[in-house]
Amino acid sequence: MCCSHSFENEHQPGTVPEVFDISAVKGMKFFDPHVHMTSRTTDDYQAMADAGVVALIEPAFWLGQPRTGLDSFRDYYSSLVGWERFRSSQFGIKHYCTIGLNSREANNEALAEQVMELLPLFIYKEGVVGIGEIGFDDQTAAEDKYYRLQLDLAREAALPVQVHTPHRDKKRGTQRSMDIAIEHGLAPYSVIIDHNNEETVKEVLDRGFWAAFTIYPFTKMGNQRMVEIVKQYGSERIMINSAADWGISDPLAVPKTAALMQQQGISAQDIELVTYRNAITAFAQSGQIDETEFTSTIDQSSKFAGNSILRGGQQPRIDKSSIIIS
Amino acid sequence: MYTYDIHALNQLLGSIIQDNTPPDVFAWLMKQGNSNDTAAFNAAFVMMPRKTGKAVISVKPEQITQLNVTRPNLSVEGWTADRLGRVFLLTLADTTDKNRYVKVVENLFLAGEMNELVALYSALPLLAYPDCWVMRCAEGIRSNIANVLEAIMYHNPYPAEQLSTDAWNQLVMKAIFTEKHLELIVGLHERNNAELARMLLDHARERGAAGRDVTRELWNLAGQFEGAGVINNLKQEYQLN
Ligand SMILES: [Zn+2]
Repeated sequence: MCCSHSFENEHQPGTVPEVFDISAVKGMKFFDPHVHMTSRTTDDYQAMADAGVVALIEPAFWLGQPRTGLDSFRDYYSSLVGWERFRSSQFGIKHYCTIGLNSREANNEALAEQVMELLPLFIYKEGVVGIGEIGFDDQTAAEDKYYRLQLDLAREAALPVQVHTPHRDKKRGTQRSMDIAIEHGLAPYSVIIDHNNEETVKEVLDRGFWAAFTIYPFTKMGNQRMVEIVKQYGSERIMINSAADWGISDPLAVPKTAALMQQQGISAQDIELVTYRNAITAFAQSGQIDETEFTSTIDQSSKFAGNSILRGGQQPRIDKSSIIIS
Repeated sequence: MYTYDIHALNQLLGSIIQDNTPPDVFAWLMKQGNSNDTAAFNAAFVMMPRKTGKAVISVKPEQITQLNVTRPNLSVEGWTADRLGRVFLLTLADTTDKNRYVKVVENLFLAGEMNELVALYSALPLLAYPDCWVMRCAEGIRSNIANVLEAIMYHNPYPAEQLSTDAWNQLVMKAIFTEKHLELIVGLHERNNAELARMLLDHARERGAAGRDVTRELWNLAGQFEGAGVINNLKQEYQLN
């Protein structure tokens, strides 16, 4: 990748967008607290690792296709703590997850009832750092019911909550999500309100919640807008994520935004807070995040007698520039 | 229902846990064995690392000797405290109602995360009704998670004791494909067979044709059923060593 001319375009709006220069974020480390790796390829894992993403959180969500039975929920949750966690470790990225019944599928009440019974088997597992992503989509009565039930579960389990806020009627849905969380006895400091924008951020911060921003092309935040938000609101209780999934999204959204912030004069300390530290502080309230596990990629339990999951496990690099595949 | 002295084993594992965790942890653990209260049993199994921690345990030489008497070929050396705690918990489960017992354990497999699966597959040689876990073991060998495979393959006497020849051969082939230490597989030479030798030599030909090497142990295994001449010709033809 070319690196010398990437800053030349900085003050020339209207020209071709500059190329993301990975060397701009060299030495920085990132935590993406919302990314659906199940929907992504190994190339994405490789690119994220190369760009400095050392750990991530994969929230349980809607797979794009409704699940019709309990077993497919169980298999999905199992894959988040099993196969996907392993896949991530092969690229040196520590994988955490949040577990919950997403708002869309809360509308299938017969199934939702069964999922509620399944959740306790998963939320106490290692590396489950919260209940999520839960909240409102259409803001139906069923969504309200299962949001409340899961808030109670989070309170009992002393786990943070990752709240998905709706695309439609967002401001009202965000307010309502916060009102209900407080009504159910959750401390705002244990609740991460996600997918914020310019219209919602002030109230979220004023009420003591964490404000997460999803840098997602076309539909959510662009990262230039994000830079302006950090300039205006600072870095306290603000975090950014990619929410990359099966849609047109960018798993490098966090490092790219860090690079843009750096170019535009945001301090290194603020960048570190919004792209790394704040997410850890918020989700470490689960007691399930150990930063010493980030760099090694191998937790102690999988390293014994000189063996590790890396030997015979770590993905070898392939030279993609070569026409020869051996 | 057990093929070994479960009481002696309980005592031994209990003493190793006592040596490696604070006293209150063992006291807590001893109260969690009621598998008829499935929700509580599941919760204890899942939250084990929060209680025991995840440090690698130390095992005294006399405990190693004793384990080898009670359950030959099983080793717990290098295990973490949570892994041993989970396996110990399983040995406390109520086995009187076979269907219920099998269902409780199967359900843990179905929802297991990586470290739980490691503990569950490590526990195979200690579970009651040993013939009930053959399919589960074969399923585990299909896993692509390295530490799960190692829990089945290394120092675990269950596969050699229970698997059919076909399933056993899959275990050995999978170990070779995933570059495991074959010498840690219990029963590797006892379960060796002519069909496996044929598969190994075919595998060597495939590797040779692709310009890739094979593990030396492959020749030893194949050599128990195939003549030295066949093997030497193959090595020469494909330039293998
Ligand atoms: Zn999401």
